[in-house]
Amino acid sequence: MASLDQLSASTIARGVAAGDFSATEVARASLDAVAARDPKVQAFLEVSADLALTAAASVDAARARGEALPPLAGVPVAFKDNMQLVGTHTTCASRMLEGYESPFTATCVRRVLDAGAVPVGKTNMDEFAFGSSTESSAFHPTANPWDTSRVPGGSSGGSAAAVASGQVALALGSDTGGSIRQPASFCGVVGLKPSYGVVSRYGVVAFGSSLDQVGPFGRRVEDVALAMDALTCAGRDPYDATSQDCEPDFRAHLDDPVEGLTVGVVPELMATPGLTDEVRAGIALARAALESQGARVVEVELPSIASAIAAYYVIAPCEAFSNLARFDGVRYGRQQDGCSSLARQTALSRARGFGQEAKRRQLLGAYLLSSGTYDKYYYPAQQVRTLITRDYARAFARCDAILMPASPRTAFRFGEVSDPTQMYAADAFTISSNIAGNGSVSVPLGLGADSGMPVSAQLQGPAFGDCRLLAFARALERGVDCGLGLGKGAPVAPAFAGKGGDL
Amino acid sequence: MGEPKLRPLADVLRDWEAVIGLEVHTELTSLRTKMFCNCRLSHDDAPNTNVCPVCLGLPGALPVPNREAIRAIVMAGLACGCQIQRRSMFYRKHYFYPDMAKNFQTTQGPVAFCMHGRLDLEVSGEGAAERPARADADARGEALARSADGSYVVPVRILRIHMEEDAAKMVHAGGEEGRIDGATESFLDYNRCGTPLIELVTEPDLRTPEEARLFMEKLRRTFRTLGISDCSLESGSMRCDGNVSLRRRGSRELGTKTEVKNLNSFKSLHDALAFEIRRQASLLEGGDPVRQETRHWEPSRRRTIAMRGKETADDYRLFPDPDLAPFDLSDEFVESVRSLMPELPDAKRDRLQRQYGLKLHDAAQLADDPDVSARFEEAVALATEGEKRSASGSAGASARGVAATVANVFVNLLPAFGAVTSAQAAGVSLLLVRDELTFAQARELLAALDGTDRDPEVAVDRLGLRQVSDVEALDPVVNEVLTRCTEQVAQYRDGNVKVIGYLVGQCMRASSGSGNPKLFRKMLAERLDS
Repeated sequence: MASLDQLSASTIARGVAAGDFSATEVARASLDAVAARDPKVQAFLEVSADLALTAAASVDAARARGEALPPLAGVPVAFKDNMQLVGTHTTCASRMLEGYESPFTATCVRRVLDAGAVPVGKTNMDEFAFGSSTESSAFHPTANPWDTSRVPGGSSGGSAAAVASGQVALALGSDTGGSIRQPASFCGVVGLKPSYGVVSRYGVVAFGSSLDQVGPFGRRVEDVALAMDALTCAGRDPYDATSQDCEPDFRAHLDDPVEGLTVGVVPELMATPGLTDEVRAGIALARAALESQGARVVEVELPSIASAIAAYYVIAPCEAFSNLARFDGVRYGRQQDGCSSLARQTALSRARGFGQEAKRRQLLGAYLLSSGTYDKYYYPAQQVRTLITRDYARAFARCDAILMPASPRTAFRFGEVSDPTQMYAADAFTISSNIAGNGSVSVPLGLGADSGMPVSAQLQGPAFGDCRLLAFARALERGVDCGLGLGKGAPVAPAFAGKGGDL
Repeated sequence: MGEPKLRPLADVLRDWEAVIGLEVHTELTSLRTKMFCNCRLSHDDAPNTNVCPVCLGLPGALPVPNREAIRAIVMAGLACGCQIQRRSMFYRKHYFYPDMAKNFQTTQGPVAFCMHGRLDLEVSGEGAAERPARADADARGEALARSADGSYVVPVRILRIHMEEDAAKMVHAGGEEGRIDGATESFLDYNRCGTPLIELVTEPDLRTPEEARLFMEKLRRTFRTLGISDCSLESGSMRCDGNVSLRRRGSRELGTKTEVKNLNSFKSLHDALAFEIRRQASLLEGGDPVRQETRHWEPSRRRTIAMRGKETADDYRLFPDPDLAPFDLSDEFVESVRSLMPELPDAKRDRLQRQYGLKLHDAAQLADDPDVSARFEEAVALATEGEKRSASGSAGASARGVAATVANVFVNLLPAFGAVTSAQAAGVSLLLVRDELTFAQARELLAALDGTDRDPEVAVDRLGLRQVSDVEALDPVVNEVLTRCTEQVAQYRDGNVKVIGYLVGQCMRASSGSGNPKLFRKMLAERLDS
């Protein structure tokens, strides 16, 4: 009898297909693990046991009929709570949407479920994805499974923690400025932000529409590739005008060698203030791992990246202000009772429905978009966007992937970072690829020598080069030992490994 | 307190020049689906039945532009002589109001799909007299050429035509005048929310309420011919706001303008602008300023009232919609639209005149409505064919004569009979051409044919309507009239030959409208001149 958390997503799907265990057994094991582990981790806002068991039963029924099973058959998956799934609530961890029932299912969720995955529940996040620690959730914080006195990162902290604590094999998150890669790094799991347009945003509550991108978390690169194939194999989504066709063969190219390919490193980035020694050491380790497999390392420049945070904190709040304008309490969400005018009802519903950070970002956006201010900030920010995109184009003319930290440091303690601008600096390495729209992945390297917490490297690829980017991530995984042995992927956080979820 | 006495429009316009610009919203009613989602377009379905996450603005929903709507606006732009922009963007315009579920409207920014066009407006008849003769200069100060009958042409510049989405319909109950303030209940119908809307903005090139009215009529004709909208002012699928300011004759400086809303008929548009011009003149002449504001036309009380001032100018926080990439239109796309453009009313009017030798009035009337002109041309072809067949050998009527008769039937008779086919109209026209039917009989015959598939040739006999052109049969009628109308006979013989018309009328009446009036005239003249 092994714990479910020892199995990768691909092993589970193979085992279900082979009849080693049923999807229902897997679903029950996952729900057991949630029951045993989540009281401490608090990764979930809602556990969808009925949906999970129904989905598992239909996988088992398909197998009983002799049908070929889809690639994620029986794999337990968690979804960030900004993704609509009929039968669950979608709250974005906000009082504003408390109790809001999903009226339709997001394309990304639909596709993962169509691939046979079993929906275990909806995960915690920073309110409306505004944050880097999941502390701004209106409902409760989520603990980092590697040290429950520390944050899991954010905004997709619940998804990262659910995977890191072995409650599910896969989870989806969304990344507007680092919200997949930074929590993946804090929790020691793989997290991919695909190129903008690769995964549909339809049904994912928008934060910054030109920056948001959905991507998977897993403990192995292969699992992330499997999820990407499920997300993209049906082609572009006609319901998302910004979605594009890409080659859906992540799994097939996973083990493409990196020999002869070029990895770029950016020396100025390694001098970023606040970058810790253990992270710097991790990047050196990652570089060596790639070089040992025949990749060549060159130095490249991304001169405009220094302005990325400034540009981001203009563009993202503007889009957030606009996207969140619809939460007025008129037709859904929190509605203030007893108001005598529409204006008062809207004002009070919003004042009481949104938390601090959500208000801060919307006020910032409302200010930045107002006439007179708009020209001073929005245009320069868009110009910076163009410059950063050009920087990347120049850099990727000389290399196939860029290696850099995912976060300047490992996970911090609850309440340790209270100044918002300091919190914003946590995204120093991740924001630029949201600005430029190219894909990036966070790959665990093991535990830092000083903090004892997970350290990750980030690999960035050219736009729509996500297949090769994952091959680089896999090569990095092959070259490092995160505790399970070389190339075995990341372990479940020890405090939770094996707790409940026997299969 | 009584309203101040306003001077008549004609007086005001002698001293003041009215500067008028229009903003015209047109719903693209002929499309199947909404602007950014697949919901069906409808006007009369039960409330909130054609809705989806996108047009309800639910969290996570995303817009996908309707390609057919883009095609339609490019058509409108080409018809209005606009430059079609190869790259334009959708913008978000923010305001908190429940008729737009997202609290922003998706519209266009500084660059619209269609920019800088021109429509030439012919102003003739009584309407032309509204512009005082001394004010014959267009917006650029060039002299307007007037024809002998006083008609003239104004070039009206189109600033832009942009694409946007319509808002939901709101009904407020329990409050005053259906307003939200004080209402006990507000009802929302999102069926209309997301309907593709094009907004055309003119430069302030119009100078009289009549010009504004004619411009709207021309725009309506044009859009209807393009088949992009039913352009109903009553149902609101075409809506117009008028901007108007006054300046002293001879001044080049623009005055403070007001915007007039609720102009839901051509008459309202004309009358509201006329009122507003008179009201502004009264203020200015009394030394009071015109306040820049939006005003509401009250048709029942024939006045405009202030809705809201501009001092609380809204900040719409316009910025490019990040859910919609910049829209690139290829030359091939624009050319493919151009190649599918139907013949526009002005071109059709000119061609009908040229091809069939029609009078200007008839040609213009027929060209107004694409369905009518198509049926007219079908009927002319059938009647010409019929005339050739029956008149083989003999001279027969000229092709132009046949066409003129068909036009006469279409312009003066058919509007009263909606369900007469082209073939039936051709048959009736032929009977008229051959003098086998009087005009009065033609009306009676058409009434009998309307909505049936009966053949006019058969029906005319069954109804006993054929015109009598037999001299022997008409002779007693002529005798009777000449005997009775001794006074008119005497007048004629005294040289007042025009009185013969009266006598023909008497013969027509005596024959119950069945006698051939031309023959009566000939017989009467022979008898009177002998």
